[in-house]
Amino acid sequence: MSWTIAVGVKQVPDADEVGIDPDTGRLDRASAPAVMNGPDREALEAAFRIRDQAGGEVIAMSMGPPNATSVLEEAVAMGCDDAVLVSDRAFGGSDTWPTSLTLARTAEALDADVVVCGEETTDSSTGQVPPGIAAHNDWAQLTYAEAVDARPDENRLVARRDVEGGHEVVAADLPVVVAAAYGEFEPRPAPLHRKIYGENDFEPTVWDAEDLEIKDEVGLEVSPTSVGGMETVDPVERKSEVVDDVDDLAESIEEVVA
Amino acid sequence: MSDEGEGEGESEEHENGVVDVDEYDDVWVFIEEHDGEVMSVSWELLAEARTLADELGDDLVALAIGEGLDDVAEQALERGADRVLVADDPVFEPYRADPYGDQFRAIVEERKPSIVLIGGTHTGRDFAGRVAVPAHAGLTADVTELGVDEDGLLEARRPAFGGNVLATILCEEHRPQMATIRPGVFEAADPDGEADGEIVEVDVVVEDDDCVSEVLEREVGDTADITEADRIVAVGHGIDGDLEPARQLADALDAEIAASRAAVDEGWVDGARQVGQTGKTVRPELYVAVGISGAVQHLEGMNKSETVVAINNDPNAPIFEHADYGIVADLFDACPDLAEELEGVTEPQEVVQ
Ligand SMILES: Cc1cc2nc3c(=O)[nH]c(=O)nc-3n(C[C@H](O)[C@H](O)[C@H](O)COP(=O)(O)OP(=O)(O)OC[C@H]3O[C@@H](n4cnc5c(N)ncnc54)[C@H](O)[C@@H]3O)c2cc1C
Ligand SMILES: Nc1ncnc2c1ncn2[C@@H]1O[C@H](COP(=O)(O)O)[C@@H](O)[C@H]1O
Repeated sequence: MSWTIAVGVKQVPDADEVGIDPDTGRLDRASAPAVMNGPDREALEAAFRIRDQAGGEVIAMSMGPPNATSVLEEAVAMGCDDAVLVSDRAFGGSDTWPTSLTLARTAEALDADVVVCGEETTDSSTGQVPPGIAAHNDWAQLTYAEAVDARPDENRLVARRDVEGGHEVVAADLPVVVAAAYGEFEPRPAPLHRKIYGENDFEPTVWDAEDLEIKDEVGLEVSPTSVGGMETVDPVERKSEVVDDVDDLAESIEEVVA
Repeated sequence: MSDEGEGEGESEEHENGVVDVDEYDDVWVFIEEHDGEVMSVSWELLAEARTLADELGDDLVALAIGEGLDDVAEQALERGADRVLVADDPVFEPYRADPYGDQFRAIVEERKPSIVLIGGTHTGRDFAGRVAVPAHAGLTADVTELGVDEDGLLEARRPAFGGNVLATILCEEHRPQMATIRPGVFEAADPDGEADGEIVEVDVVVEDDDCVSEVLEREVGDTADITEADRIVAVGHGIDGDLEPARQLADALDAEIAASRAAVDEGWVDGARQVGQTGKTVRPELYVAVGISGAVQHLEGMNKSETVVAINNDPNAPIFEHADYGIVADLFDACPDLAEELEGVTEPQEVVQ
């Protein structure tokens, strides 16, 4: 018994580097360097822990432009056995509905038993893709997973989920989609030989919409939501007074609360 | 390809899930309850949705899924719902994504609401996609502002890129228009005591045997509601596991304790007290950030505070730019000193649970 574990990794603009175009007032994503979505590193770690327990393969999958290959190379360097890039112009303008469809079909094509995702991305930050994948495939899901426990003999995966005011332990039948709670899966260091392999020799498999037979089910056309407008928000005005001693600070606070 | 997962259930009559939007009306609010306890975000949404429904000339409908929901349904009527739909069955307690999603979807497909609002809690964000995907609905996550445009379309606004930008998301040709909304951004209305709407029991369409998940254990303790607090002392990674200095300050100020995600992840403070993008939005008159660096995801939750005070030993910490008053100091010295100075400064508040 060994499991095929697919991990969703997304290339995002480096959050610290995204600026606003002074002419248009729009986000200037293009100039920010592209990096792996931070929470997806933790998804990879969660996947490796599942592989440690159940045996099998971890395969990274990314839907994105051809240059998203770099995050897949990184995923392989971190310890993935293989990686797939799903790339097609037809995907342009996809919201979470077609995005999760594409990843759901990719997971099926890989014959995945488990899909692991990050909690959310730093660019679209919806957290809706993992439940979307599960819904498209009618699979079980375990979101906000703080710990994972593979039970190959039961054909189930158990996770400790973070819930409002506490936690719960939930067992799900395979196949299952897991979303790893951010901050709970410290990525292990990449072994040197994997790093070298990932960076120098590895090439991901590339699939397009045709390969997944979803040509007419993706892109702007099938996306239920659209962006009606973007407004720049003025930062909240603050006094930004820095005082030197506690007495002064106490005085300012007293004025507020008295 | 494997042969599993033919569960799309999309209606065949329309191309790509596009529907006749005129067949859909009413504004729905999901009432999230666990063990009979309603999450406050549900009441916040019910108050906000009342305005939307009135603007649209629609009914306001509350939807509750769980076991033993009579009280919850009654409360929803008292708080302004015209109608309450209840799916009442042991299969729904405790919460699980698959039975909730299937049931919710069945009710949506049968009754065709125009707008569906769900609290952006872990539960709401967990099952919303299981409704939106098969219904091919538009789902906007993490919304902080709602409105309707001149055509009666829902305008769901959400921050993008660390709150620098507010994006308006529309759903023109699909229904329902779904959104998950951050806890704390709207204010709940007081119940007016009148409950003259109707309670409708819907057919339960799920059975335990069909469920693909099982809750083995559930432990819920602290469900503090920091969104109502007038004063907050929020701790960050800088406290290094020692809550005592912040507690002293909080006691002197009669404030609630809140935390950054880093402090929550370390297990120092419960997740119910997390402020920020993936936590709560708070609006106290005073917010004291203790050992918090001021990451964008944190600022998003505290920006509605009237006055912000920062205590941090790094003069370059971004939090100082987002604070009204700050002190560059070791929190282990500054908090007790400040607590001593401020002792008795506030009239004791009633204890909020
Ligand atoms: C998808 C996503 C969602 C997120 N959602 C949230 C969210 O909802 N809320 C949230 O808070 N974060 C969130 N984060 C995390 C966020 O990016 C930051 O990592 C986090 O806010 C940092 O917490 P912190 O300020 O407590 O810790 P740090 O950034 O480590 O800052 C600690 C601060 O304490 C100061 N300090 C240390 N020792 C002392 C001392 N002795 N005295 C005084 N000061 C001291 C340091 O100078 C430093 O400024 C999210 C991140 C992601 C990727
Ligand atoms: N284009 C993508 N390619 C691969 N994985 C993705 C993609 N978009 C989202 N995901 C996965 O879904 C998670 C949640 O993303 P989101 O719903 O966009 O916040 C991410 O952390 C990824 O694991």
